[in-house]
Amino acid sequence: MATTGVKPKESTAFRRGVVDGRSITPKEREAMLQPFLPEPPTSPSIPSKAQIEKASHKKKKVGPIRSFAHFVIYHIIAFIFSVFFRFRRAWRLVKSKVVALLKYHHRTPEFIQRDVKHLDRLPQHLSVILDLHDNDEDQGSAGLEGLVNDVCEIAAWTASAGIPYLSVYEKTGRLKSYIPQTHRSVSQTLEAYFGARRKPSLSVRAPHQQSYSPPLTPPTLDLTESNDSTNERQHLALLLLSREDGRDTLIDLTKTLADMAQHKSLKPNQIDSNLIDSELRDAVSTEPDLLILFSPRVVLEGYPPWQLRLTEIFHLPDNNGVNYQVFLRALHKFAKVEMRLGR
Amino acid sequence: MEGSIHEGRVRKWLASSPPVAWTFRQLRELLIGALKQGPIPQHVAFVMDGNRRFARDHKIETVEGHNLGFEALARILEVCYKTGVKVVTIYAFSIENFKRSKHEVDALMAMAKLKLDQLSQHGALLDRYGASIRILGQRNLVKPDVLEAIDRAVSLTAKNDKAILNVCFPYTSRDEITGAVKKTVESYSQPIQNLPPLKRPFSETHITQHIRTQMLGDRLDDASEQSTSRSTSPSSSSNEANLAHSSATSTAFSSSEKGENNPGPPNFQDPETITAEMLTDNMLTGGAPPLDLLVRTSGVQRLSDFMLWQCHEKTSIVFLDCLWPEFDLWNFLPVLVEWQWQRKKIQEQEKGRARSKSD
Repeated sequence: MATTGVKPKESTAFRRGVVDGRSITPKEREAMLQPFLPEPPTSPSIPSKAQIEKASHKKKKVGPIRSFAHFVIYHIIAFIFSVFFRFRRAWRLVKSKVVALLKYHHRTPEFIQRDVKHLDRLPQHLSVILDLHDNDEDQGSAGLEGLVNDVCEIAAWTASAGIPYLSVYEKTGRLKSYIPQTHRSVSQTLEAYFGARRKPSLSVRAPHQQSYSPPLTPPTLDLTESNDSTNERQHLALLLLSREDGRDTLIDLTKTLADMAQHKSLKPNQIDSNLIDSELRDAVSTEPDLLILFSPRVVLEGYPPWQLRLTEIFHLPDNNGVNYQVFLRALHKFAKVEMRLGR
Repeated sequence: MEGSIHEGRVRKWLASSPPVAWTFRQLRELLIGALKQGPIPQHVAFVMDGNRRFARDHKIETVEGHNLGFEALARILEVCYKTGVKVVTIYAFSIENFKRSKHEVDALMAMAKLKLDQLSQHGALLDRYGASIRILGQRNLVKPDVLEAIDRAVSLTAKNDKAILNVCFPYTSRDEITGAVKKTVESYSQPIQNLPPLKRPFSETHITQHIRTQMLGDRLDDASEQSTSRSTSPSSSSNEANLAHSSATSTAFSSSEKGENNPGPPNFQDPETITAEMLTDNMLTGGAPPLDLLVRTSGVQRLSDFMLWQCHEKTSIVFLDCLWPEFDLWNFLPVLVEWQWQRKKIQEQEKGRARSKSD
């Protein structure tokens, strides 16, 4: 509080309404506040001559020097910070590269399982926000192919960590029209990670569309084999979300409710948050436990608002692009465990 | 905080000596003036988190922590309004907070009442900031004496229009969204009593009449009159809900047909016309500019049922590690500068995109 220029006597007066052992009157308080107040507004309704003179006089006195000082300081600040931001970004990039070297999953579920083994809390529903890069600047992750790649990798990590439910938000919703293809790519990646025998089963779904989970390609396993795998096969549910599942779905719900109210099948005061919640839960998704952003800063880009209520939001500042490190750190943060780099 | 008690005391004494205090004040003013040179977020929201932890860390009472939090709020509001932020929304009290200990809830309510009462004693001073206070939330959960203080402060500042302070007091965002949905549905379930009268100077019936007479010519005068009256009947039934309108145009209909028309089902606004803007306007923050920046202190990375609807596509959400009572211009400055920097970058990108499109 030292830096605000408030004296201790004033702050106690402000805090308790008491000064020198007696309560202060409003008048005294106003007097105390005097130096902190902005200029009184020059009333625009009746600008008397004296007021105009006073105003112009004041402007002459402090105007140009002050505003020049402001201009200079603003640009100095902007310059210093832009240098600082660039350095910070570079430093974090180096750091993340080092961590990425130390913590690599080698496309093996066992490595990922070892990384998350000591976490006593895992999200049951994980959500990620991905971007569709149209331009070729970010090579390797451009276009639909890059997006599908990202989805595949994240799905494999999620399955390896033992999280049963993954929802992927991508604002344009392009993936939704390629559900069978996405299913094929993701299950191929899962096979590459787990091997054909231990591969988790997968279902892909988008709101208002039927869940897509074709029968497994080797439909019957040998009896001996099924006895070997003592526990049930893991299952991963993948949900594709887009901008329409956010505000637009709520609007659609409102339209339906309005329609019902017009036909007298519902009274407006029957609407409560439980009703909306259960409708949206069925139509879109449940509340995710953890939301991971791979963008450099937290911008939700129209993510379904209702579902975000208590969701933990994780992002790594200045990170750009999908990588395993962000995923792992998010899980650590969720379990409130510091991630140690040493082995 | 790290130094010894003695050191801290010396520093405090030094900082509160008049010249040093004056210098700091001037420095603040200068910085705020400088920040004003760049783009400024129009709507900023704060989640004031960490008062209790601050109290625990410093071994003071929880209530005292809330008090310090209120001072931090006053400081940050000054910064916001002086830099030109139009709307500040703060999360003062969640509906869920009623689950806290009764002692703490009562103390918070008493504090709210005291501060609002203090505020109400300085009507003239408030006008200088030009800020009006609005309380968003479930009024029926607040005790009547606090409600009275709220109403006094709200009505006292209602005429100020330079800036708005939204205090979310018994608030959750889901409750707000539900309220907005309900309000929209209610307005759509009211049958429309009077359709807006047609503003166009031409009447359709008159035109059909004209066409008919032209088609039939002057040959059959009686027949033409009959056919016009028959042709107008469909349009008349659709307009019938509006009594004023039909009476205005009744000269076009024959009186016998008017009697045949029954009121029919009540007219409603088409639900398909519900838009996002309509819901946005029905939110408690209706009319405020879109949320540009949301700041949450104390390192918790959750929205916790706050501004869910408002945190839309472009809202920048910032999570800070400092506790709310420590929050000041010096913590806010980097956030604001970074926001300005990003805003400028986005604008440059948009410009570049527009240029590449036009090429």
